[in-house]
Amino acid sequence: MFITFALITLLGALGMLLQKNVVVAGLCMVATFFGVAGLFVLLANPVAAALQIIVYSGAIMVLVLFVIMMLNSHQEEEAAASRPVQRWLSLALLAALAFGAVKLVLSSGGLKALAEKGAAMPQAMTLQKAGTALFADHLLGFEVAGLLLLAAMIGAVALTKRNL
Amino acid sequence: MSGMDAILHGGLQGYLVVALLLFALGLATVLLRRTLLLQFMGVELMLNAANVALLAFARFRGGDAQATVFYLFIIAVAACEAAIGLALVIGLFRHRDTTDSDRAASLKQ
Repeated sequence: MFITFALITLLGALGMLLQKNVVVAGLCMVATFFGVAGLFVLLANPVAAALQIIVYSGAIMVLVLFVIMMLNSHQEEEAAASRPVQRWLSLALLAALAFGAVKLVLSSGGLKALAEKGAAMPQAMTLQKAGTALFADHLLGFEVAGLLLLAAMIGAVALTKRNL
Repeated sequence: MSGMDAILHGGLQGYLVVALLLFALGLATVLLRRTLLLQFMGVELMLNAANVALLAFARFRGGDAQATVFYLFIIAVAACEAAIGLALVIGLFRHRDTTDSDRAASLKQ
């Protein structure tokens, strides 16, 4: 199961990187979000999986596809200047970063010890546990997040409206 | 579980490798594509990679509820970022008639 969801996630991300059509790239992004939600289920966290599907595969996907359709920019525009040096340099640095980080994860003794110590599957996360932790320990953070969402909502309206 | 086995059957290292590769692919999208909408999607992928790593660590530390709370805060900030980012893309399209980040390199009109 793990390898299936991991492949859905990574192939969706790869498709997004390589796809010429922006709408298809957006749908590849949705596949990635579903794969990540599957990984969350395997991590014994159905609450996070449900939130992932509602917020990312639901709200953010609708927002992105709506803007793509509204701007009617389905294809990537012609490059103003081809920058081969920068592109190859960034690709090489990225490959080095990914390779080095993966090697570091696989050779780390601390991670191996943690994986063995926590190998037993914990009890699945419930909404009750998450809600208790949210409102008992992080009430201020919750209020600030609400304020942030309000500010973002007003900001988005102010930015897109022609005559305020 | 160790090495290849952990990657194939969902040990901690397997989840972390998936998170790292997802982050790298998101970063590659931001660096290599020119369309602002695609770059924005790359940023979303990088945020998701961070979430995968966070919840993987939480599961291997005995299913900590604090991680789910922080995941909630992260997606709240990601939703704000999505709304503001897309509003900025629309604003740029109104003023410059483009969604190409290379064509928006100067602050002057």
